[in-house]
Amino acid sequence: MNKFLFLLSEGLKNLWRHKLTVFTAVFSVFLSLSTIGVLFIAEQNTHKLIEYMRSKYKIEVFFKDTVTNEQAGQAVEKIKMIQGVYTTTLIPKEEALKVYKSQFGDDITEFLDYNPLPASCVVNIKRKYDGYLQITPIIEQIRKIDGVDTVNHQGRLISRIEKFYEQGLLGLSGVAFAIILVTVMIISNTIKLTIYANKDLIKALRIIGATNTFIRMPFILEGVFQGIIGTILASGLLYGAVYGANEVLRQLTAFTINVQWLFLSWLFLIAMVISLFGSSRAISKFLK
Amino acid sequence: MIQLENVSYTYRKGFGLANIDLTINEGDFVFLIGPTGSGKTTLLSLLYMDILPDSGRVTIGDFNSDSIKKRKIPTLRRTIGMVSQNYYLLDDRNLFENVALPLHVIGHSQNEIAETVEAALEEVGLSGLEEHYPQELSGGEQQRACLARALIKDPDIILADEPTGNLDPVTSFDLIKLLEEINSEGTTVFMASHNYSLIKSRNHRIVEIHGGKLRSS
Repeated sequence: MNKFLFLLSEGLKNLWRHKLTVFTAVFSVFLSLSTIGVLFIAEQNTHKLIEYMRSKYKIEVFFKDTVTNEQAGQAVEKIKMIQGVYTTTLIPKEEALKVYKSQFGDDITEFLDYNPLPASCVVNIKRKYDGYLQITPIIEQIRKIDGVDTVNHQGRLISRIEKFYEQGLLGLSGVAFAIILVTVMIISNTIKLTIYANKDLIKALRIIGATNTFIRMPFILEGVFQGIIGTILASGLLYGAVYGANEVLRQLTAFTINVQWLFLSWLFLIAMVISLFGSSRAISKFLK
Repeated sequence: MIQLENVSYTYRKGFGLANIDLTINEGDFVFLIGPTGSGKTTLLSLLYMDILPDSGRVTIGDFNSDSIKKRKIPTLRRTIGMVSQNYYLLDDRNLFENVALPLHVIGHSQNEIAETVEAALEEVGLSGLEEHYPQELSGGEQQRACLARALIKDPDIILADEPTGNLDPVTSFDLIKLLEEINSEGTTVFMASHNYSLIKSRNHRIVEIHGGKLRSS
C-alpha cells in the first residue's frame, strides 16, 4: 500500500516536474480526442441523413391481372416477412381504380366494362441505420413470390447512396485510426524524452534495488494522468461546441445536433489506451 | 561473503575481465586499485549483477550468478549499498527525498522513513540539510548524501566506485574515515579507486587490477 501511494504521488508530481513534455502530450491527446469526437458526432448525425433517405425509398410491386385481392394480401404478408422490409401497403384493384380516377379524372371501367388495373403494394424498407443496406436481395425475394408481375424500384440509386455513405464512414474511421496512431507516437516520443531526461533517476532506482515495474509505474501513471487531463479538456470543448452550435441552429433551422454523450466514455477509453500504450512502449524500450 | 571464481566478461568492443578469482569475507574492508580503464567498474558491475559473467561464477551472500533469476536481481541489490563517483542524486528532489528513495522501493511507511532518514543523515553528518537540493550541496556533501542513501537500507555490503574521484584530498580522507566507521559496525566495504596515495596508509587489504586481470589479491 505504501509503495502504491508513493508511485501514485510520484506519477502526479511528475506532471509538474516534466511540465513541458506533459504539456505536449496533453495537447496531443486533447487535439486527437477533439478530432475523433468531432468525427464521432458527425457520424452519429449523418445516420439521421441516411435514415431520412431510406424513409423516401419506395418499392412498388404490381401483381398479375389474375391475382385476386385476397391472393395479393397473402403475397403482401410474405413480403412483410422479408428481412429489411419495414412496412407494406396493399393497394387492392378498387383502390387502384380510385387513384387512377383521382389522378386522371376518367373512370376507366366506363370504356372497358371491367377494371384492368392490377392489385399492387408499396414497400418501405427499414430506416434505422445498422450497416450497409443490400437492396437487390430484397427485390429478388419479392420477384420470387407467386403472383408478382413487376417490381418498380430505384435499386441502383439506392445502392449508390448506401455505398457512398459506407465509404464515407470507412474514410472517417481511417482518419480516426490514423489520428490515434499519430498520437500514440507523439506520446511515446514525448515520454521517451522525459525518460531520457531522467536517466539518473532510472540509474539510481536500479542500483538501490527497484524492480522494473517500480521504475516503470510513475512514467505509466504520468501517461495515464496526461490522458485523463486531455480527455477532460476535449470533452469540455466538444460539449461547449455542440451546445453553442445548437443554440445557433435552433434560431435558424429545425435541425439540431444530437449527441449521445455516453460516447465520451469511449473517448476516455481511447485516451487510456493511447496513453498506456504510448508510455509503456517508451519505457519498455528503455528498460530492455 | 563475496566470491568470484574464474570470472570472465568481455564487452562487444573487446575489453573486459579475464579469469578473476577473488574472495572477500564478511566485515572486510578491501580497496580495489587500478588505472582508469583497468576493469574496476566492470568488476563492481558484476558484483551488483548489472552485468553477468560470460564464464565463471559470482557469489554474493545467498545469491550467485549461475542460478539467479532476473526478477531476483533487485532483491540482491537491496543488500548492497552503491556509492559512485557520479552520485546519481536527483536534482528535482531535496536531500530528504533522495535519501528516502530506497525505503520507498522497499515499501516503508512515512513515519518509518522520516525516522530512518534522520538517523542516516546524522550518521554521515548532514543533519539540518534535509530541505536542500543536490545543487545546493558541496561535492563532499553530495557524496555523503549518496552514502546516506546507500546506508539507509542497512546493507550487508557497500560497493564504492571511485567515491573520491570528484573530491579534494581532505574531503576524500574524511569520506574514507566515514567508510571505516561503517565497516567497524560489521558492513563489508569494497572500494575502487585509482588514487594509490590516498589509500596506501589505511592499513586495509589492497587488490590490484590491470588490463582486466587481478595482479594481487
